[in-house]
Amino acid sequence: MNGFDLSLIFLDYTIRNVVLGALVLGIVSGTLSAFAVLRKQSLLGDTMSHAALPGVIIAFLITGVRAPLPLLIGAMIAGWIGTLIMRLITAETRIKQDSAQGLVLSVFFGFGMALLSWVTRQPGAEHSGLDNFLFGQAAATVAEDVQTMAMVGILVLMLIVVFWKEFKLISFDMQYAKTLGLRVGLMDVLLTTLIVVAVVVGLQMVGVVLMSAMIVAPGVAARQWTNRLGVMIGLSAMFGAAAGVTGALVSSTALNMPTGPVIVLAISAIVVVSLLFAPERGVIWEHIRQLRRRGVLHAQIARQRLITDSKRPAISSQPANQPVAQPIPVQSGGSANAKGVLKP
Amino acid sequence: MKHTVRFISFVVIAAVGVMFVLNMFVGSAQQSESPTAQSTQEAIPSPCTAPAANAVATVGMIADIVSVVGGECVSVTALMGPGVDPHLYTATERDVETLFNADIIFYGGLNLEARMVDIFEQISTGLGKPTIPVSENVPAENILTEVVYNAADPHVWMNPLLWAYAVEAVRDGLTELMPQYADYFTATTDAYLIELHALDEYIRQQLARVPEEQRVLVTAHDAFQYYSHAYDIEVHAPQGITTESEVGVQNIRDTIALLVERQIPAIFVETSVSPDVVEAIVEGVRDQGHEIVIGGSLFSDAMGDAGTPEGTYIGMIRHNTDVIVAGLLGEAGS
Amino acid sequence: MVTKNANNIPLVIEDLTVAYREEPVLWDVDLTVPQGALMAIVGPNGAGKSTLIKAALDLVDKAAGRVTIYGKPYAEQRQMVAYVPQRGSVDWDFPTNALDVVTMGRYGRLGWIKRPTKSDRQIAYESLVKVGMESFAQRQISQLSGGQQQRVFLARALAQDAQLYIMDEPFQGVDATTEKAIITVLKDLQANGRTVLVVHHDLETVPEYFDHVLLLNVKAIASGRVDEVFTPENLRATYGSRVDALIRQGVEA
Repeated sequence: MNGFDLSLIFLDYTIRNVVLGALVLGIVSGTLSAFAVLRKQSLLGDTMSHAALPGVIIAFLITGVRAPLPLLIGAMIAGWIGTLIMRLITAETRIKQDSAQGLVLSVFFGFGMALLSWVTRQPGAEHSGLDNFLFGQAAATVAEDVQTMAMVGILVLMLIVVFWKEFKLISFDMQYAKTLGLRVGLMDVLLTTLIVVAVVVGLQMVGVVLMSAMIVAPGVAARQWTNRLGVMIGLSAMFGAAAGVTGALVSSTALNMPTGPVIVLAISAIVVVSLLFAPERGVIWEHIRQLRRRGVLHAQIARQRLITDSKRPAISSQPANQPVAQPIPVQSGGSANAKGVLKP
Repeated sequence: MKHTVRFISFVVIAAVGVMFVLNMFVGSAQQSESPTAQSTQEAIPSPCTAPAANAVATVGMIADIVSVVGGECVSVTALMGPGVDPHLYTATERDVETLFNADIIFYGGLNLEARMVDIFEQISTGLGKPTIPVSENVPAENILTEVVYNAADPHVWMNPLLWAYAVEAVRDGLTELMPQYADYFTATTDAYLIELHALDEYIRQQLARVPEEQRVLVTAHDAFQYYSHAYDIEVHAPQGITTESEVGVQNIRDTIALLVERQIPAIFVETSVSPDVVEAIVEGVRDQGHEIVIGGSLFSDAMGDAGTPEGTYIGMIRHNTDVIVAGLLGEAGS
Repeated sequence: MVTKNANNIPLVIEDLTVAYREEPVLWDVDLTVPQGALMAIVGPNGAGKSTLIKAALDLVDKAAGRVTIYGKPYAEQRQMVAYVPQRGSVDWDFPTNALDVVTMGRYGRLGWIKRPTKSDRQIAYESLVKVGMESFAQRQISQLSGGQQQRVFLARALAQDAQLYIMDEPFQGVDATTEKAIITVLKDLQANGRTVLVVHHDLETVPEYFDHVLLLNVKAIASGRVDEVFTPENLRATYGSRVDALIRQGVEA
């Protein structure tokens, strides 16, 4: 595609709505992604989105129409039920969380697929389009969809602002929070619900299968760049938004390019760059620092040997009597791990 | 605690078992005896009092012509009912069983039933059952190629004169299976071919009412190429010949641009495809200040409900033509 | 040792029984923690020490028993109690700094939605000073050593300004400096009329640091003043025969 005119974002109805929808999706899922990552619940998003499939179809079977609202409510309910069952399994049996997640995810999704294949065989045209929930149909986003998503998104963000300290505390130290009298169970339910909502908001655009990427990736990427919670949440939202908008725009430059997968590619690229190149935690820099440290260490040892050798008569090489290296000075704020040992 | 574990394991295994059982019953084969044109049947005396063979067809259009040609001598089962998308359809255990028990199988071919190709292979070579891709009986020079993927376009039934070849394929297949009824099959086929010609004539007359500049048919997916070629009407669709892929943003924008530029008054949805894309296009067009309506619902990959006129092949094509003409003449409302 | 629920006794535990699955972890435990005590809970691994304080704080379910704080159930008295959990109970790779963690100790007083005020932060800072960590206020908690993290947790509890402090193994795996710093703070609390209950792992330091002790091994073996209760017989009853080696090292009442 030659010479993409950026004013089209505002002027062209289709591009405008797809971009806005992707923007909302990115911000909402990015924000909740940060919390999910901190609470070690990243896979929960994956489980919820796969679990949503039977919810969508059952909602369709009950209401008989393919209007977005009932379907998304069905998705929410199913996502929540999946989460509850997962907790039940983890709490009441010896099955660990990862197994419980895998179990719920596959059983629900399989059930959903079976339902889907049954429904699409039924006579009548109303059910057509249900299989778009698998991978999304972003290109068909209309103004009404964007409005709904935006309203939900604003509500979600408001709740996060309001309960900021509560969410922070239960993400860091839930038991302690309980002793303070904080309604920990309630807050946990609320935060989990917000994650479910974030998943559901994106289903129409990106689909059940790919939505998990939007719940996992932005938070992971953001964590690499900062050590402040507020900044992390903001960055995560920004990464989500950037991926959404980029994906939407890039997918509109060529024929037959699906939007959902391109959005996921965009956020994946952001994650890879963050994992590799983030200043403090990036793999590449850490590697370079390690090499440098080793260089410094070798230099120090060599210097030691020179000093001690110069003080003795240069007769024997005495490998056995090599002086013990001086204890490497630990600064007053020294951290317990090796990382801080050789900080200049 | 042991008891809880045991209980939950039992529940999970039971659930899995139920799912397996359900799976075998999911995908009810549509027992549709499509009502054939009454006039044909009444005129031709049938040599059979009960069906002598059991035929299975994939889509309704094929089932319909099989029941026309076969008449009383053949019982027909269609795997896919009204509103079902053949491009996406995957066969279930039950479907396979139905196919196994058939005496003869008719399917579209040209990759229409994209996800069942292997099954037909196996049934034909492995079981030696007559498995006939009716659309492939159309002479090669009449088969259109879809531009983007360079694949054959399977929507042959959109041109009644080409669909006649499919009818002949059915006749030939049934005749080979039951040579004793050869004359009967020939008679039913000939009578039906006359009707197909009449249909073709009807379409020409109707479309002639639409001025040439306005003769543009925009639908959800690209199923109408044959109709377009035969009757000199332009077609355009955001989705290609198969509904398997997600629609691209650029595709939608191109369709909107076309509609606005050519001032086309109506766009059409299809019964077996989600209307979301069409609705998005309508909004985009209206946003640019151009008035457009959804002209109506067309039957593209599936027919209407059994028992209705649109539940037959001829009825389906007639309905499409009427809806298209009304829409393009601005007589439709939505 | 059933006592009446008196309004001036910081902590009374009666008939406490806790069981995970089928094994009892605590069996019919009674305990009275007197006002102003600096009490250690000691016992072998798996004796239920952590579980005891968690059950008292309603963090685990009780199969039986009553817990009262100054005469009332714990749920009504949260403001009076500050909990210092084990260091390993959180992931320290959380994006926040020491001051922020300590400020969390003020959340109980704020209630819903309200944000911490300047005065809350001031109190948090002063708590950091008390544990000698004020220069680390802005430091990322993931960059702190084990001892420093422990002190941050302690500061957080101090920020609550409670009457009863309950700590789970605060001396576990910390360096000598930190240990000194912590015990100084605890004695300070005692001097200010607070009560401190500590799950402790090191028998040797019990007589030096504490004035009361509970010897626990699923059942309460003995509790009371260290000079009365911390005897070889009680130790043997709690730990079994291996404690003889410890006794020979001079751990006498």
